[in-house]
Amino acid sequence: MTAPYVELHSHSAYSFGDGASLPEELALRAAELGYSSLALTDHDGLWGSMEHAQACKSAGIQSITGAEMTVIDRTRGQAVDEPFHLTLLVENAIGYRNLCRLVTEAHRDTRPKPDAEPLAPLLHLDSLEERSEGLICLSGCARDGALAGRWERGEIERATALGRRLVGIFGRERFRVELQRPFWRHDRARNRWLGGFAERLGVPSVATGNVHMHERSRALLADALVAVRLHGTLESTEPGRRGNRSSAMASPATMATRFAEHPDAVGESARLAERLQFDLTRDLGYDYPGSEDPSADPALAAICRARLGHRYAGMPERGEAARRLEEELQMIAKLGLSGFFLLHYDILELARKVAAEVRGRDSARMLLPPGRGRGSSVSSVVCYLTGLSHIDPVKGELFLGRFLNEQITDAPDIDLDFPRDIRERLIPRIHERYGSERSALVSAFACYRSRSAVRDFGKVLGLPAGEIERAAGILDIYDRPESVERDLAEAIGAQRARSGRWRALSALAREAWGLPRHASQHPGGMILSTQPLIDICPVQPAAMKGRRIAQWDKDSCADGGFLKIDLLGLGMLSAVERAIEEIARVRGESIDLSRIPLDDPEVYSAIQRAETTGVFQIESRAQMQMLTRTLPESIEDLTVQVALVRPGPIQGGAVHPYLRHKEALRADPGYQVPYEHPSLEPILADTLGTIVFQEQVIQVAMALAGFSPGKAEGLRRAMSRKRSEAAILAYRGDFIEGAMARGATQAVAEKVFEQVRGFSGFGFPKAHAAAFGLLAYQSTWLRVHYMPELLCSLLNEQPMGFYPPDSLVHEAQRKEIEILRPDVNASAVDCIVEPSLAVRIGLGYVNGLKEGDAQAVVAERGRGGAYRDLADLAGRSGASRAALERLAWAGACDEIVAEGEAGTAAARRPALWRLGVAAAAQRTPQGEQIALPFAAPSSPSLRELGDWELVVADYESTGMTIDTHPMSLIRPQLTGEPETSETLWKLPTDTRVEAAGMVVARQRPATANGIVFMLLEDEWATINLIIPPPVYDRHRMAVRTAPFVHVIGRLERRGANMNIVVDAMRRLERPDLPLAKVRPIEPPAERETGRDGAGERDEIADLGVSLPAAHSFGRRR
Amino acid sequence: MNPDGIYWPLPVAVRAGQSGVPVTVAGIGVEAVREEWLVEDRWWTPAPLSRRYFEVVLADGRNLVVFREPAADGQWFEQRA
Repeated sequence: MTAPYVELHSHSAYSFGDGASLPEELALRAAELGYSSLALTDHDGLWGSMEHAQACKSAGIQSITGAEMTVIDRTRGQAVDEPFHLTLLVENAIGYRNLCRLVTEAHRDTRPKPDAEPLAPLLHLDSLEERSEGLICLSGCARDGALAGRWERGEIERATALGRRLVGIFGRERFRVELQRPFWRHDRARNRWLGGFAERLGVPSVATGNVHMHERSRALLADALVAVRLHGTLESTEPGRRGNRSSAMASPATMATRFAEHPDAVGESARLAERLQFDLTRDLGYDYPGSEDPSADPALAAICRARLGHRYAGMPERGEAARRLEEELQMIAKLGLSGFFLLHYDILELARKVAAEVRGRDSARMLLPPGRGRGSSVSSVVCYLTGLSHIDPVKGELFLGRFLNEQITDAPDIDLDFPRDIRERLIPRIHERYGSERSALVSAFACYRSRSAVRDFGKVLGLPAGEIERAAGILDIYDRPESVERDLAEAIGAQRARSGRWRALSALAREAWGLPRHASQHPGGMILSTQPLIDICPVQPAAMKGRRIAQWDKDSCADGGFLKIDLLGLGMLSAVERAIEEIARVRGESIDLSRIPLDDPEVYSAIQRAETTGVFQIESRAQMQMLTRTLPESIEDLTVQVALVRPGPIQGGAVHPYLRHKEALRADPGYQVPYEHPSLEPILADTLGTIVFQEQVIQVAMALAGFSPGKAEGLRRAMSRKRSEAAILAYRGDFIEGAMARGATQAVAEKVFEQVRGFSGFGFPKAHAAAFGLLAYQSTWLRVHYMPELLCSLLNEQPMGFYPPDSLVHEAQRKEIEILRPDVNASAVDCIVEPSLAVRIGLGYVNGLKEGDAQAVVAERGRGGAYRDLADLAGRSGASRAALERLAWAGACDEIVAEGEAGTAAARRPALWRLGVAAAAQRTPQGEQIALPFAAPSSPSLRELGDWELVVADYESTGMTIDTHPMSLIRPQLTGEPETSETLWKLPTDTRVEAAGMVVARQRPATANGIVFMLLEDEWATINLIIPPPVYDRHRMAVRTAPFVHVIGRLERRGANMNIVVDAMRRLERPDLPLAKVRPIEPPAERETGRDGAGERDEIADLGVSLPAAHSFGRRR
Repeated sequence: MNPDGIYWPLPVAVRAGQSGVPVTVAGIGVEAVREEWLVEDRWWTPAPLSRRYFEVVLADGRNLVVFREPAADGQWFEQRA
């Protein structure tokens, strides 16, 4: 017979730094061990509660919701005692509401300073007086519990008083004295005292396990996580760690044995569990704002009908639009979603006001809508008429079913893209409008990957910081946990990687992979509620002032049925808006992007030649190679194009068939595209027989397998979730059976299902792709007709896009756009286009220059005129000495050095020297002390900076080089006869070639079976490299870390595409400095004998010391 | 640590029952086991710790702490309580 024990106290990894298993792992293990219920009681939060409830449901056990709260007793604002822990368990819906409010309150004051580290959450004991209903309180853990902690410290009187107070708050029915057996020295004495005290209080005691991991093997990770949380090493945090592995989940029988002296306390755990029937998957009780409003249906219909006449005036689509509108309105009313659409409409109207404030009434940007819909909502005519989308779904023949169908069980997704500046202001305004208690951003959990694990655990193991960084540097985000050991071997040597602490590091990184590390803010997901949100999910302040985050991530919010609106900041929208403003400023032309021709042959010609660097979506290496084969000729083609290079279509095997069919059709317009089954032809005709868009999955499931719309949407949702493989497979049988019942052979049914399943990676709905395709076209149009302004705005919006600023600048220079370096007498804070259409780099690009200093330099120039010389700059600008030195190092003072040197390479050193002796402004507590404008003395004769020194100075100071391409300095030193990006074009395919270049991008897509793609740049253009897995394995360090490489390989030319399939690669070193002395990476064997390797400063020379520093990889600062 | 210090553990002969709980210490019967605890630590070093401690009351009235050290071939040690 199973012992009558239920685990009422367990922590998952959502106790951040104090739990080492996922809720799913705990639930599955509990079911395996024969538990009937399991409580999750993470510290001070409910981040994992919905995940726990869902996992328990799947595992067939009852979930119990709870939290271990950190509580403080204060009298008149003064703490009267140390904080202590209480375990709160939810008995019913009132209790859940109270717990959400208590957790919210505990976090309320954790962010006194925006953007600083948060304070620990703390709940006042008085708050429990008001919100104890529906909660069962256990007295807390053995170390920090309200009673046990005081007993440990010998504070018996305080423990007694606190116990009595807690009985007063919760009553004898809902307060229990908690007994734990962590196998610490005084367990028996403590439990005997606690048991006796419970009798004196007249309440039962209850046994709990304080579980921190689902199995013992995770105990090592739990130790390391505690050390990370306490910012120490494993050694230094010994008192804070658990000291043994007994906090792994144990079977009910084992737990009963552990508490053999307290059998009633074991039985009490099961009796309490019987009372704790609240189930988050069933009892949440959420409604979105407007869901109960009886006037919502007519209100929405009135808005849409009024706008239909205006939008479709004189258009042939009007009749069809009116028909679709009535159909949609009817479905929306039937689903009770009118309030949902009105809410979005309301938000968009708010966005219009915010946009007007941000852009200014007279701005060229006023012609633009405040934001754009993306996602499947773009297929709805209601969304089009309410302004949520800017794509006409009738004209675009967009399929509604993915967005709305009669069987949907959750509110549909509506994503809105905004320029970054509008989004920043809109989020706090939404909090204001709906009340901060009714709106919040969604959480996102940063999870451990190999690199973060190596950094965190390397530190707690006390390994040398330089080696940790070197190891972290060669790990990439696609690394699987299994490869950590190999990567470490490469970074520090195989023998050393197998030694003591390094081996422990590999093991920890493997175990931690995928566990949540900390909670942060989702990029734009926001949830709204009719009743206070804090009654259904705890809310806490975000790092950014004015923002609040719900404790659930997007999956948990979806499981809770929350209305989620995605307000996304899209860098390209901001860049396009900036470009329009710049065009108006420089050329006096007012451009309305919604009215530009969508059939501009120059634009398509550029797209077909893949001249798309810097434009939206179709600028990546993979997209460019595709463009020259697909040769898009219309917005519809671009819609497919942006959706094609996505994990879903790639894994679903859509790319090559699409290309083949497209090329066949071009060669022979009469070519018949093959389909797996005739029922698929109408669905897949636009995408030439392949599944490219998300809704095609739904349509295929409906047409081929006879799925209902709701069931097909269920399949699509299963594909989009991170915990989904089992869910997708559950649909397989029905799919194949349905398809065969409709005449498909088993082979075809299975093949199509595999295509559908392959699509489970990320893919776009057509409507989303249409919105992105349009932005891709608009940005290409700007590139073709207004390239300086587009470049300028891209530079100002960094980081964004595929290319670092350095590459954008070099590409523009090859297109004969003049780029001018920062200049204190010509630059603004941001980059600007000058009347000559040259792009002037802004002072804001100077690394380390504070924004206030840059503004001061520009403002004073506007007030008092151009700076005459360095002393004038130092005296008038108010910039600090450090700021002036950074400006000089960036060459921004080159023009105001003494005559003869001005504007030359000879200027930089004298400028630095003179600014060093010139009196600069001083910051004092009273403000800024402006320096007197004494003339700076002449500098002594200083050696001119060498070419490499100038390049290094440019990269260090602005992340880009304008005058000299670094490859032009390396080229004379190259051995052999490497080809250039120009000469390669003259060679036939399959030629063995050598080439060299600066690395611009490295990619190792998860969908590419281990192949690495690299993009090199030389003085003339770019070169694509393909690195097969065996070559990557041989040259991993060079592939991942070298800024300049020399490669040997086979030239592969196909049409307008050219790649080098690399056989060998080596790192190129900077030619003008002596190379660092590189010692063998493998340490001598005897060094390892009998040691664990910690603390040994190895003598391996830093391989990077002789390389140019500060090569930019997409980050501005 | 000072090997001569009063808390320094010294080897001792312990006879344990089937569950691993001491029955005699240096030939003297164990009257009661007051506490039992575990230390599993320093797993990241060449000398990981894995000890099961017992605080016992012996038939001669002494109160002692004994532990078994698997890393020392299962040798038992005694310490002052």
